[in-house]
Amino acid sequence: MTQLQTSDANVEQIQIKTTVNVQPEIETNSAGNTLSRSCPNCYVIAAEDFSFYYGNSTGVKNITLEMFPCTVTAIIGPSGCGKSTFLRSINRMNDLIPHTRAEGRLIVNNHNVYDKRTNLVNLRQQVGMVFQKPNPFAKSIYDNVAYGPLLQGIRNRSRLDPLVEESLRSAALWDEVKDDLQKSALALSGGQQQRLCIARAMATRPKVLLMDEPCSALDPLATARIEDLITQLKQNYTIVIVTHNMQQAARVSEYTAFFCLGELIEYDKTGKLFTNPIKKQTEDYITGRFG
Amino acid sequence: MRLLIRQLWDKFFTGSAVVSILLMVLALVLILGPMLVRGGSAVFFRGTVEFRKMQLALYNRGDVDEITTESAEVEKSRQVIFDTLNHFRRGIETEHLIKRARKFYRDYGDQLRQQNTPSEQYTLLRSQAKKIRNKLCDAYESENKNQVLENLDFVIQQQDNSDFKGTLLEELFVLAQKYKKVVQSIDLTRREQYAQSLNEVQEILRQLFGPLPGEPTPSLALFQYGATRWDLAQKYLHRLLWKEEWIQIAPDKPLVRRELERKTLFAGTELESIFDEVQNNLPVMLQPHPTFYWQYFIDDHPPGYYFGGVGPEIIGTLLITLISMLVAIPLGIISAAYLIECAGENIIVRVIRTCINTLAGVPSIVFGLFGLAFFVLYVLPRFHMASKECILTASLTLALLVLPVIIRASEEAIRSVPRTYKEASLALGAGRFRTFVTVTLPAAAPGILTGIILSVSRAAGETAPILFTGAVAFAEVPRSLLQQTPALSIGSYVIATSDNVGMNLPHKQYGMVMTLIVLILCLNIFAIWIRSRTSKKLHGY
Repeated sequence: MTQLQTSDANVEQIQIKTTVNVQPEIETNSAGNTLSRSCPNCYVIAAEDFSFYYGNSTGVKNITLEMFPCTVTAIIGPSGCGKSTFLRSINRMNDLIPHTRAEGRLIVNNHNVYDKRTNLVNLRQQVGMVFQKPNPFAKSIYDNVAYGPLLQGIRNRSRLDPLVEESLRSAALWDEVKDDLQKSALALSGGQQQRLCIARAMATRPKVLLMDEPCSALDPLATARIEDLITQLKQNYTIVIVTHNMQQAARVSEYTAFFCLGELIEYDKTGKLFTNPIKKQTEDYITGRFG
Repeated sequence: MRLLIRQLWDKFFTGSAVVSILLMVLALVLILGPMLVRGGSAVFFRGTVEFRKMQLALYNRGDVDEITTESAEVEKSRQVIFDTLNHFRRGIETEHLIKRARKFYRDYGDQLRQQNTPSEQYTLLRSQAKKIRNKLCDAYESENKNQVLENLDFVIQQQDNSDFKGTLLEELFVLAQKYKKVVQSIDLTRREQYAQSLNEVQEILRQLFGPLPGEPTPSLALFQYGATRWDLAQKYLHRLLWKEEWIQIAPDKPLVRRELERKTLFAGTELESIFDEVQNNLPVMLQPHPTFYWQYFIDDHPPGYYFGGVGPEIIGTLLITLISMLVAIPLGIISAAYLIECAGENIIVRVIRTCINTLAGVPSIVFGLFGLAFFVLYVLPRFHMASKECILTASLTLALLVLPVIIRASEEAIRSVPRTYKEASLALGAGRFRTFVTVTLPAAAPGILTGIILSVSRAAGETAPILFTGAVAFAEVPRSLLQQTPALSIGSYVIATSDNVGMNLPHKQYGMVMTLIVLILCLNIFAIWIRSRTSKKLHGY
């Protein structure tokens, strides 16, 4: 798959400065050997003093954080605090909204996403996104999943078919739909549609998967399946998940960021943030005193 | 508001909604019903033997043997009428009898000379013959019955004269005797009236039965056949039996229409009997059978709309509508796409939108004039073509007419596609054009198709734009886009404004209108079917 590129070949290596002292964990198994968590794609997402404005009002302000490869990072916070804004900025989906502007740098794989020379098509093929409400196309299941690869130029059925099957298997949907791949995607249930969207997003083999409240429109059973899916996927993908549900964040993620009113309040390992938060605001939110 | 009042309001609104829907359906039935029923009489009617003869002669349709037998039968039954008529006419029209008398006299003179009669005898015989001739002619011209009989008797007496035996003068005696018989049954004072009434009767009989036997075939197809439809025949029959008169009852009042039984005009003559004869035996004389003239939709019609069908009109309407849609639909969708996707929110775009919305309401005659001025008089010469109205210009004018409607409908449809559809596609790395074509357009298709359905109906039925840009009343089926063509809407207009065509042939007028309505209905049903299929795909069943 193509690397994230800009049209200018000479791009400075960007030093990432984080104010939060977090290091990626190295796991050891029971025998004490390190399980190399070296991610095949070392994409790191970092924000450096990043701000985003809708017209005159602020979306997010002065965000500085770093998300590590092959981990699941959760972003929590009350409504309207800028979580979705930040997430959608990572693959430039906010461009669809008129009268917006961004300041600072948002770096994915050592390239500034908001650079004017960024190739959006490439960026979006490397950084996939799953939305809050399932939004499959009004086509068949096969065509939905094959949409991404077709864009990348894979037209050969002998290459598309195994690709589609693999994506559907990774999304834990294959067993349910393998009998009729030509069925319309809109005829699936809500949970199945969301898994289809995840399969579709994964068919392009992105390095990063952004999930904007993926389970908010689903029932608990479907939610559980998707959470299992996320836990499986994190072996090979960098996943950033925005969620309202703190229990979900606690279950699924390794790192959690807490946003409030457009600012990053705290960013730490999940276990530490939920049991022993540093900031008082975080504690108030977690214990439910506000938010 | 109290619950009871709210419930009453609810019932009231539901009731008025139901009532208004019923009123709309009623209005539709009241307006379309009669048109469809009477238009249907152009296809389903009782056709007479004249109709079948006409179909055979003009369109080569029908069994030749059958029609010949039928014609022979019909001729036989009509012969009685014609014989009576001829006899009466001969009695009345004394002009040619006078001519014949004079001719016989001249021939007699020639005969005498050939026989080399000595000149004294010649003069004597000739003067006697002349006297006979003059008496006979006087008898023919006079209206005084007694005088006539006197003259005739004189002439008949001369028959006994041996000088005239075996000569041509005997013809004169035969004529005199025949005329005596006629005179005894007719009131001579009314000969003038009889002549005029006889002409009227003959005219109506020609309308009923076609050219009378012995007359030359008329050149216009219209006059070559009698009443082709039973309802028309009934109308002519009524005209035959009842004469229309306008009587002044008071000096300052307008004339009043009265009907007079024509029989009374010929009271006492032999012609009186033919009226009852015709009335009682008309079915035998015309042999009406129920006819299903479905070729109405295919046939050409000779100028005048009297026979034939609306085939060329249907083809013309379909052709013009199709071509105008082919031009307007892509242009409309692309314009709507540009206005929403690419154009910003500045003042120019707003002005363009206002113009489009205004154009949707401009009267169609303005488009017609614009089409004439622009396409016919300006564009065609630029391409080095003759500045002539043709199908191309008519279609382009119609395309301009429906373009604003399509743009507006497409805009609404595209705008109503939820943003999440586009986001899903963009998030996978598709460009904006790709997203539009593969995701937005199929999702907006039902709305766009609604706009197209409305435009097709409008385009098929519009008259003013094609009136001076390419449609005519009488033309053959066009072979190229640079020719003129007839169309259903134009045809209806021409029939309505032509002299008497609408009054005399109501079935033609209603037939054309009914064809237009049925055509538009079929186009609409087809387009609605397409839309429902697209809609189903969109919703996943």
